[in-house]
Amino acid sequence: MVKKFTQYFGSIAIVVLCTLVAVALRSRIEITSLAMIYIFGVLVASVRYNRGAAVLNAVLGVTTFFYFCVPVHDSFVMEDSSYLITLSAMLAVALVITGLLDRMRAQSDKVRDAELRIRSESMKNSLLSAVSHDIKTPLAAIYGAATSFLEEEDRLDRAEVRGLIGGIAAEAERLNRVVTNILEMTRLESGVEVRKDWYPLEEIIGAALSRFEPALNGRPVTVKIPRDLSLVCVDDVLLEQVFVNLVDNFVKYTDPGTPLLIDAVRSGESISIIVQDKGRGFPSGSEERLFEKFFRGQTSGVRGVGLGLAICRAIVNAHHGTIKARTMPEGGALVSINLPIGGSPPDLTELAEGSTA
Amino acid sequence: MTTQTATEPRAEILLIEDDAEIRRVLRTTLGAECYRMREAASVAEGLQQVHARQPDLIVLDLGLPDADGIEVIHSVRKWNRNLPILVLSVRANERDKILALDAGADDFVNKPFAVGELLARLRVAIRRGTSVHREDAEGIFHLGDIAIDLSKRCVVANGQETHLTRIEFKLLQALIRHADQVVTHGQLLNEAWGPNHTEQTHYLRVYMVQLRRKLEADPARPRYLRTEPGIGYRLVTEHSD
Repeated sequence: MVKKFTQYFGSIAIVVLCTLVAVALRSRIEITSLAMIYIFGVLVASVRYNRGAAVLNAVLGVTTFFYFCVPVHDSFVMEDSSYLITLSAMLAVALVITGLLDRMRAQSDKVRDAELRIRSESMKNSLLSAVSHDIKTPLAAIYGAATSFLEEEDRLDRAEVRGLIGGIAAEAERLNRVVTNILEMTRLESGVEVRKDWYPLEEIIGAALSRFEPALNGRPVTVKIPRDLSLVCVDDVLLEQVFVNLVDNFVKYTDPGTPLLIDAVRSGESISIIVQDKGRGFPSGSEERLFEKFFRGQTSGVRGVGLGLAICRAIVNAHHGTIKARTMPEGGALVSINLPIGGSPPDLTELAEGSTA
Repeated sequence: MTTQTATEPRAEILLIEDDAEIRRVLRTTLGAECYRMREAASVAEGLQQVHARQPDLIVLDLGLPDADGIEVIHSVRKWNRNLPILVLSVRANERDKILALDAGADDFVNKPFAVGELLARLRVAIRRGTSVHREDAEGIFHLGDIAIDLSKRCVVANGQETHLTRIEFKLLQALIRHADQVVTHGQLLNEAWGPNHTEQTHYLRVYMVQLRRKLEADPARPRYLRTEPGIGYRLVTEHSD
């Protein structure tokens, strides 16, 4: 209700202002022009405040106008009728304008609600279609292989059995990745706690790379981190996930033998990290949408739920950093991350061990 | 599948897990590996079996119906410090794993797990239970083509001898003692700096970076000194490739 009170207060203030101006000018300009000052006042009040405050402005404005601006020698009859006409005009201005504005606001609210509804509907739809496709497909393969084994056991040779069971294992692993990504995204969106501490960037990137040991075999990986870039203040588990998802994309979308470069440089109070490969790059025109949830750069061939880069962005944003993607002119995907170092790193001089060594 | 009967004569494993399907898979697999199996589906039943059977190793699920699985660890460690405990966890929360490890669990395996990974962890945990020394006669610990001379406190990697500082040596010693098992930040800090310095984890991380530069061919892609983000480190001596 404080807001309502300030609206009425503002409305009165406008009348006072109009009166001050009118009194200052009344000896120099005509009475009809003085009335315009008050009309202007009610206009402002109608646009800015609610209907009640605008009506108050009209009534007070007309009263003070007649009190201060109309010469006393006019007859009472004249004064009464012209008072009523001016008052009606002022009230009409106040009511018409506030009425129009109210209707406009209501309509724009309705439009915004509708937009929100459409957006959340399409979110739900893409979630549903992603979930039903990416969960049900591996499930179908697992269920099919298992029931096939149960039904046909006697007629299958060893190699066929191995094929079926191998398929079950691979599909279960895929399903695990999909479910993990959906859970991770849900966790990030519900506001995960970022537990920051000082970490060597080298260690976080190393942990991510070592998860891909067999997959990275035969793909030359170069990591360039300056030795003096010692510590950054981040959540190690979350930041590792960023590199895991980037390397996972690299493994999924490039041919064996494709080189990968991870390069970090310090720039002022932040670090820029570049993850760059020599593959085909991103589909043209998709660079902006890559980080959206459920966006799939390439729908055929490679299966995934389209959450990897969205998770990366959510994590980098939680660190107050930025993440961008582009295709290099000479081909190849480039993802650049900018992260604040997060303050001044702790003093490590105690580490020197010195005489105790 | 390799059979371990020669080196591990039918160790008895107590599996405390409430899910019947997971118990079935493990019963089949561990049975095929010639381990003897006991099963329990709750903390209470598990503790009863621990006392009745005196197993050689416990495989423990943390999410049990009657209480948190960590209760088993607390209870067992009150009277037995050497019984290996391997934790099965579906939880993504690293804090739960640290709590279990610092309470005295030996290692963890994330659900869903590949059987190969579980078996490797089991073998390591059982080996620790019998405290096998892995240095050769001259006190040299071999890590691929890296030789770590524990008496001279130095490392020979790529034909080059590098001296280790006191702290680096203590850290490496602790990791060798728990080779192929995860060691939490807290445990390593305690080993290298003593019980009053268990908060300054960033010191530890900088030392590990230094240690990698002395040991690893490519420190940014460590082969031996692995990081378990949010938990600690693991010295990997067994490579599948």
